[in-house]
Amino acid sequence: MSETAGSAWRLPPFLRTTAFRLTLLSAGLFALSSFVILALVYAATVGASMNRADAAITGEIAQIEARYAAGGAQAANRYIVQRSVGGGEFLYLFQDPERRRISGNISALPAVPADAQGRVRFVYERAPADGAQGGEGRNARGQIVVLAGGHRVFVGMDVEDETRFISNTLNAVLLASALALGLGIISGAVVSRRFSKRLDAINAAARAIRAGRLETRAPRTHTGDELDELSENFNAMLDRVEHLMQRMRTAGDSIAHDLRLPLTRLRGRLEGVLVEAEDPEAREAALQRAIADVDELLRTFHAVLSLARLQAGERRRAFERLDLTGLLADVAELYEPVCEDQGLEFACDCPAGLWLMGDRELIAQAVANILDNAVKYTPEGGAVVLRGRFTGAGEAEVSVTDTGPGIPMEHRARVLERFVRLEKSRSLPGVGLGLSLVQAIAEVHGARLTLDEGPGAVDGHGPGLRIALTFPAGEG
Amino acid sequence: MRVLIVEDDREVARNIAKMLRECGHVADTAHDGEDGLELARDGAFDVLIVDRMMPRRDGLSMIAALREDGDKTPVLILSALGEVDDRVEGLKAGGDDYLVKPYAPSELIARVDALARRRNPEAVKTRLEVGDLEMDLLARTVRRGGEVLLLQPREFRLLEFLMRNAGQVVTRTMLLEKVWDYHFDPQTNVIDVHISRLRAKIDKPFATAMLHTVRGAGYRLQP
Repeated sequence: MSETAGSAWRLPPFLRTTAFRLTLLSAGLFALSSFVILALVYAATVGASMNRADAAITGEIAQIEARYAAGGAQAANRYIVQRSVGGGEFLYLFQDPERRRISGNISALPAVPADAQGRVRFVYERAPADGAQGGEGRNARGQIVVLAGGHRVFVGMDVEDETRFISNTLNAVLLASALALGLGIISGAVVSRRFSKRLDAINAAARAIRAGRLETRAPRTHTGDELDELSENFNAMLDRVEHLMQRMRTAGDSIAHDLRLPLTRLRGRLEGVLVEAEDPEAREAALQRAIADVDELLRTFHAVLSLARLQAGERRRAFERLDLTGLLADVAELYEPVCEDQGLEFACDCPAGLWLMGDRELIAQAVANILDNAVKYTPEGGAVVLRGRFTGAGEAEVSVTDTGPGIPMEHRARVLERFVRLEKSRSLPGVGLGLSLVQAIAEVHGARLTLDEGPGAVDGHGPGLRIALTFPAGEG
Repeated sequence: MRVLIVEDDREVARNIAKMLRECGHVADTAHDGEDGLELARDGAFDVLIVDRMMPRRDGLSMIAALREDGDKTPVLILSALGEVDDRVEGLKAGGDDYLVKPYAPSELIARVDALARRRNPEAVKTRLEVGDLEMDLLARTVRRGGEVLLLQPREFRLLEFLMRNAGQVVTRTMLLEKVWDYHFDPQTNVIDVHISRLRAKIDKPFATAMLHTVRGAGYRLQP
């Protein structure tokens, strides 16, 4: 119950959004700052106009004082009467030393106490111009001065018009600020509604994916704004996840596929041992073969696993600057005896100073795999050349050229797929993962793997194969 | 030799223990990191075999705790995590060797033997001797029966590793890791070829062979 009551008090969703809160905040700040500025202008204007009034009053009193000093009370009285009749902007009251009214256009001093300089601010009533009943209270300010002979003079000034103008201005200022705030709230609501509608669409996509509809994607507006960019990144992320899942599934399938056959074979062999347990020599031989089978299985397992991990991009860590010349020399040193053993001529041709950004272990593995292949398929009397160089474009290129049968053009793309071994090579050892592993390593390094024809056919051999890895040019 | 196997899969632990006993070792087992740590602290073991992922306390933290106590017993880490980074992490935590699952039993035995030998450090030695084969690590010379053998630098390192592990089986993978510092698995028999080259130099001119092939496992140098 309390929860329902609580939620009843919550704002509608679009009013709870960040966009709305931000707009509200900026509208509030705008209203506040405009209010402060206008208030300062107001204070300055009021001050100036009141000072002007006070200066005029002081000036008028000086006139009266001058006449009083020259011609006494009579001269001052004449002046005041003249001015009162003249209908100027001033209010006058002239009193004798006993504070009896002598002349002026008001009957009594304002009933408000004066300050030390004799200044007063007061409200007086003035009969309407058309002679109707009742008067209106008007704001005025004035000054009372006691003259040398004991007479008092009061001069006041009607500031009702100024006061009214000022208070109208003040009202306008307040109204404008309130209006700015209101408009801010309305535009905030409108903006946030639009914004949250688009975010809702992205959230809905995320919820759909969580619910298992993995093919769902966030809608795009293709305007290139930040929400569209968010959708784009969101979708790209989902594509990547889907791709990885697909790959993991494929990896699982191919592990199952590739391990089933040797496992079945192993099982058969072990059953055979059980049956023909009599002859110890035959049993030992069968067990040795079984162990060899298991080793082969383990090798396949490792190869499939590292291929799956490479393809899933698990090993994309910081690469380091590698001495490619040294790396190739090491691998060459590992393979040179094998080549010699198989009656192959082997050469390593790489100038000093080659380098690239990469993972030592992976690149050594790629080169070793390519060399494995070359050694495996090149018939006796052939040659294998490992070459490293910088291309004209500054890319580090590693190539292995052999004089084996090569790979026909139409099969070149296929040999990079997992487990593909061309028919002719079925009898040779290996699990057919070598080149796909090289391909995956190339991908991790952003390198190109190219297969070309070798040096050409001679005496029924060839045309050979040239496999090249071209790494992107490093900086510095 | 006393070996402690800390592995949460009881059957795997039992199998390893059985294999080690068959090779004449004493083997104890523990099935989680806490028990393993307790046992390792109490008993004087020559080698610990520690699985990486275990309940209650994982293998790496167990090794780190031991090393903190100043315990220097050699540790072989077993793990399904086989990338170079995982390996580095394992060795940083105080492991001495790292074996990725699944592995061949002979590989495990060979590595345990190699670790046990390391306990009595020969690193300070400047001369290695196996039968009538002598290696001077300072002068970088090798003699057999007083006759100087000329070895390539890599052959020298290969022989050095074999001599340090004389009498024990060393696997092809161990050689590739320790002599060449590669952790991948070449499809062709590169190691065999290097061994046969070495054999041609240290065995062929002499009456008795010292470098033996152990079928299904690897090689052993023995007088």
